[in-house]
Order: sequence, then C-alpha cells, then structure tokens
Amino acid sequence: MAEQVWINMGPQHPMTHGLWNLRVKLDGDTIVDADPEMGYLHRGVEKLCEVRNYLKPIVLMDRLCYVSSLTWAHVYCKAVENLMDIEPPPRGKYLNVIACELQRMASHGMWLAAFLADLGLLTGFLYSLRERELVLDLLQLMTGQRMNQNYPRPGGVHNDLPPGFEDEVRRVFRYLRRQYKGYKKFLEDSPTFLMRTQGVGVLRKEDAINYGVTGPNLRGSGARVDLRELDPYDVYDELDFEPVVYEEGDTYARYKVRFGEFFESMRIIEQALDRLPQGPFRIKTPKRAEGEGYARTEDPRGEALIYIIGDGSDRPYRVKIRSPIFVTLSALPMMLRGHRIADVASVTGGIDVCVGEIDK
Amino acid sequence: MSGHLVDLFGGSNAIAVFLITIINFILRGIGSLPLFGFLNPLADWLGTEPVVTSIAWLIAITIMITWAAALHLLTFIWLERKLVARLQDRRGPMITLRKDRYIGGTGYLQQIADALKLIQKENITPKAADPWMFHIAPAFLISTTIVVLVALPFSEGFVVANVPAGLLFILAAFSLAPLAILLAGWAQNNKYAMIGGMRAAAMMMSYEIPMILAVIAVVVLAGSLNPIEIVNQQSQLSILAPLAAIGIANWYIIPQFLGFFIFLLAMLAEQERIPFDFPEAEEEVVHGWLVEYGGMRFGMVYGFKWLRTFVAAALVALLFLGGWHGPVLPQEIWFILKIYFVFFIFIWISWSVPRIRIDQILNIGWRKLIPLGLFNIFLAVLVVHANAQGWI
Amino acid sequence: MVDALQFVFLVIAAVEVLTAVLVVTAKKLMWAAFWLALSLVTMAGIYLLFQSEFVGIIQIFIYAGAVPVVFLFGIMLTRTRAMEDVP
Repeated sequence: MAEQVWINMGPQHPMTHGLWNLRVKLDGDTIVDADPEMGYLHRGVEKLCEVRNYLKPIVLMDRLCYVSSLTWAHVYCKAVENLMDIEPPPRGKYLNVIACELQRMASHGMWLAAFLADLGLLTGFLYSLRERELVLDLLQLMTGQRMNQNYPRPGGVHNDLPPGFEDEVRRVFRYLRRQYKGYKKFLEDSPTFLMRTQGVGVLRKEDAINYGVTGPNLRGSGARVDLRELDPYDVYDELDFEPVVYEEGDTYARYKVRFGEFFESMRIIEQALDRLPQGPFRIKTPKRAEGEGYARTEDPRGEALIYIIGDGSDRPYRVKIRSPIFVTLSALPMMLRGHRIADVASVTGGIDVCVGEIDK
Repeated sequence: MSGHLVDLFGGSNAIAVFLITIINFILRGIGSLPLFGFLNPLADWLGTEPVVTSIAWLIAITIMITWAAALHLLTFIWLERKLVARLQDRRGPMITLRKDRYIGGTGYLQQIADALKLIQKENITPKAADPWMFHIAPAFLISTTIVVLVALPFSEGFVVANVPAGLLFILAAFSLAPLAILLAGWAQNNKYAMIGGMRAAAMMMSYEIPMILAVIAVVVLAGSLNPIEIVNQQSQLSILAPLAAIGIANWYIIPQFLGFFIFLLAMLAEQERIPFDFPEAEEEVVHGWLVEYGGMRFGMVYGFKWLRTFVAAALVALLFLGGWHGPVLPQEIWFILKIYFVFFIFIWISWSVPRIRIDQILNIGWRKLIPLGLFNIFLAVLVVHANAQGWI
Repeated sequence: MVDALQFVFLVIAAVEVLTAVLVVTAKKLMWAAFWLALSLVTMAGIYLLFQSEFVGIIQIFIYAGAVPVVFLFGIMLTRTRAMEDVP
C-alpha cells in the first residue's frame, strides 16, 4: 500500500456511534487527511418546528440528541421564554438546573462508556453504563422518563419534585462519588490508557477558538469558557461551582475535563437542592409571540444555541439550532492529521460525537 | 510423583487391534464362502503390522483433535464468556435445554447453538475477492494450529508423537499463522482486511523474536528441545534447595520470571487478545482480516482464536509452570488445571486493559522485550553455569 | 515395487515439483508467494522423511514461516496497485 488510500470509517462502522461517515486518507497507517460527512440522520427538525405551536417542538428537541435530550428541550424553552419575554418562577429555574445537571451526568456517563469501548475496554463500557443507570433512575423519578423526558416548559417545568427525591439524590451521589473515584484510579493508573490518550488529537487553544469548538473540548484546550459562568442563565449565578479546565488539549485533557464535570455537576445539584425555594414551578405563557428570541446554554457537548423568530402567530416563523458537535467536527481533520488510524477511535470518542444533534 | 492416566499411542494401538480383529473375523467369515475367497488376502493385509500402526496413528490423532479442538475449545469459549460476563457484572450465556430455556442455565449449549446458526448461513464470497485464496486461507490457518497438537504432550503418555525437537516444531507451526492471516487479508480485497492482515504480520515480526528468546532461555536451562524432557527437568533441577520442599521451586518460573513475563506477553500477542488485538480491532478496522468472512467460515477463523489460546496456555504451563508435575492427582489433571489457570490470567489481563496502538506495541517489542529477552538468556546461562560449578 | 516410504517420498516430491512450477507460472504475485510457502513446507516434509528432523523444523520455521511473510510484505509495499490487482 504504497499509495494513499481513502477509507470510509462509517456510516456503518463500530467507531461512529451513529450514522455519519469519517473519510480518512491513509498513507500506510498514518492519517494524511480526513473528511467528516454528515447528513445520514437529517430529520429536518428546524423545519418541523415551523408547523407546530410553541409547545410542541419540545418533543422534537428531546430527540435532537438521544444522550442529552433534556438540555436541548431546556435551551428551546429558554429561547421561547426570551421571545415571549417571560420569567419563570425561581422554583422552576432551580428544577431546570437540577434536571439539566442530572442530564449532564447521564450524558458524560454515556460518553465515558462509549469512549472506553472505543479504546477497546469493554469492561469499562459496562461499568460506566451501570453507574449511569442510577442517574437515569433519578431522572425517571423526577420527570417520569429515562430518555426523551419532555420535562422543561416555557415558563418553568412540567411537574414538581416527587417526595423523597432529595434523600434519594444524596444516597445515589454518595455511591457515585465512591465508584467514580475508583474508576478514576482504575483508568489514570493504567499505563495503557495513558498511552492511548496522552498526546493524541492535540487541539491548541487558538485553533479551538478559531474553529468554534466549545464546551468540554474547548476547556480541555485551556480556555476557561463555560456559559454557566460567563453568561449565567437560570440560577447558575447563585450557585458555587468551578469550570474544569485543563491546558494540554489532548484526549486525556478532554477526558479529565468531563470526569471533573461529573463531580462538579453533583456539587451543583446538591447546592440547588439545598437552596430550592418553595412556590410555583411554572407560570402560564402566552400562545402567540412576535419578535426574536434566543438562548444559549452549556450543553454537555458545548454551546447549544437556539434562535427563534415569531411572526405573531401561534407557531415559530423560523427556528435555528446551533449544535456544538457539528461545529467541533470541523476541527476533526486538523486533530487527526499525522496520527495513526488507531487514534481515530480515541479522538472521535474523546470529542463526544452525538449524531442526532449534528444532523438535526 | 504421580503417574499418568492415558497412554495415547498404546490405547490407540489396542483400539486398532481390536477393530481389525473384528473386521478380520467378519472378512474371514465371508471369505470362507465359495465366491468371496478374494477377501482372505485383504484380511491378511489388514493384520500386518504397518497397517495396524497406521490405523493406530489415525485413531490417536482423532482422539487428540477431539480432545483439544472440540472439548476444550468449546469449554474455553464458554468459560471466557461466563468469566467476562462476571467481570462485567453480567450473567453471560444461560441457554439450557429445559423448558424455561433462559433461566438459570449454565449456558454451555450456547456454543453449539451458535455453531448451528453459523452453519446454516450462506457462504458468501465477495465479488471482488480472490475466490480460491479466500476459501483456502481459513483452512490453512486452522491447520497451522491443529498441527501443533501432534507434538503437544498432555502427560508422559498422552502425546501423539514424542518428537525430539518437539518444542521447536510447536513454535514453528504456531508461527505459520500470520502468513495465512496475511493471505486471508489480501484475498478479501477489502481495505480493512488488508490493514488487518498487514498489522498481524507486522506484529508477528516483532513478537516472534522475544518469544523465541524466552524459549531459548528455557532450552538452555533444560538442555533439551523435547517438551517431555523439559517438563521432567522441572521436577529435577534443584536450584533453590530450601524451597524445593514446596514442590514448585523447580519450576522454571522461579529462575526465569523475566522469561515467563516475556513469553506471556508474546502469547497474548499471538492470540490477538485485547491489549494486542489490533489485527481485528473493531473500532479501528471493523473486524480486521476476518471482516468479509461469513457463516461457518467466520466461525472457523473465530474459533481458531480459542484453539490458539488453548495451545498458548498449554505452552506457558509446559515451559514455566512445571507441566504436569504436582502431588497426588494424575498428570493429565494437573496439566489441565494449569492450562485453565493460565487461561484465567489471559482473560483477566485482556479484559481489564484498553487496546494498545500498533506503533507502541512495535516499540515495546523491539526496544524493550528483545533486550530483556537477551538479558534473560544471560541469566539462564548464569544459572546453568552456577549449577554446574556447584555454586548454589 | 515401491515401499511405503518411497511412496510417501514420491507424493511429496510430486507436490513439491508441482508447487515449484506454480511459483513461476502464477499470474498473481500473492499466489506465487503462497505456492512458494507450500513448496518450502513440502521440502521440510522431505527432510523429515530423511530423519533429519532439526533441519526440517528449521525449514518450516524460517523458510515457511518468516520468509514468505517478508515476501508478501515486499509485494504489498512495492506494488502500487496491489489492491486493484484482483479480478
């Protein structure tokens, strides 16, 4: 194979976690070029929103990303609130924060599972899914669903907390803290894991900013950019938390950022539960709206932005979704160039690809 | 020291003589009839010594292959699935023949169910593949491993052929497989398969050498290439006399711990197990060199991996863990116990580490293991010399 | 009249000669390498037949195990169109 060959890693490839295609140009075992191809899972969510009234796209947003549905419904609701110029009650905001952080934990748990499976560590895959199950149980207790929760609403949330939720959360978190400390030791003491992740897929800070990379991938490159801190929405400005930032910019740094965020999310949820105010959790919203509204939040994968134009009818005139991983994938060829084909799994696993939100 | 249960060749000979006696009895019975007199010379020929020996060989080989490639292969696959399931907080295969088929069974029949399913499937040959090579390569692959069983002893008596250079023969046959893998990878005319085949060959180039170096150290200690002789040496060599009372002090793992380590790593690589499974790494090259195989042909190339595991575990037990030596129990039982113990180690290692990248593995192979292997030979020579001089 | 050993020798020798011819007549280089490996293995069989076991085993080890792999490597690394070569 002296010549350079293009290899399709996808759309049916164990590495892709969904339907997308990464075309890789190989010189022997070394990647000289890469070309992500998306669109296999395009459902036209933006267009579908235009023929539904303001409440109904929430279920579509839930299906944008099957790993973190709730956060997408949440950012849509924030955008609608912004458009309608309403302010949800404090309890609703707190409940949204709790639900979003639980979803972030579930999403990072799924990411860890998929990432470890990409590295060939199937045992870690099952361990991580096992712990994620507890977080999903909490979400189910709170919202009634394990995935596609349909929980946030413009002007609050769908339902209040069930009785005994707080004790359950604290019990689960005690267990999760112990377990994840064990996994951290298990992974970071393993030379093979370090060999596969350190120095792989390096994304420098300037490049990351130029390519529009956001979220844990950007924080892994050393930029302290967390919308929960920079542009606080809901009640994040009242809570005490620290964005997890690492300087190296390689897969290992991204792994550490996500692992740290898992613990940070637990801290945030516990604080939110401590300060949870009494009162209504939802207010009534108008049916029609005119003007523009947008919201951006810190999705588990980066900056999620939804921009809505209302024309005075009961349905949005236009909905624009900015999905973080769609933007991050543009930096993928640069991260892959010069690496081995074996690193493709490590790098794409490390940036936490979710095809549902890429293709919208 | 306990004795051995099975005398494979003697037993086979007895079976052959018994069978031929029955057949001859029938033949001569018919031959006494007027028209069937031509059967008598046939009966005479069957009774001659070379024929009996040949049939005895055939029976011995059949027994050996059934023993290893059917019984232990199925047990190994089953055991791996069950153990990995336990490691991963699952239950593993549980199918039984009872009415409530999925509740509480041991799942041993799962392998047979899988094989039945694979046999039913169509044998697909890709249009662009080289059809002959595509079909020859799996047979070539399996024969390289089955031929090992000819020289692999399970006890002093349970061996098909006691070859003087048997160890060398085993390793030679064992190292033929990468050639077949390379051919299989090429014949499928698939880029993933091609990369997988190339990776297998590259890995073989870097792993054969440390493996041979580790074996050379053992051969230096034992002074023989005969597996049975090597095992017997491990019951006699008294390097650490105070420890000899325990019974394991004579095993080569004590003076040759480094060699044991190198050989274990090389054997993991030979089996394409997880830290070194990049020839068939799913997340990288889909399924590497077996990507286009379907049906029972896939079952063959996939099951062959466990046959290699079996042979590898047997080799580790043979060379470093004292073979079939142990108190009370018969030799065969001890050897099987040790094989399964080594198999546990293989599973344990391979399911608790991520896969290593190929360039890293080549680096480890060439830069670390080869110098270590050479140093290990030096140690072995030192031990032998010290023993000869009476220093220890 | 040939005895058993001679018969075995003749069979192995015939296979050997046949594969040796196929090495030079094979259209595809990969097949040539495969026939070469087979030819070298049969040569090891002849050594074994002559009771020179060590030579036979070393023959398998080096000339059947290692050398064809190097050949295949060489073929794959030098031929630019090795992938499209198959009909």
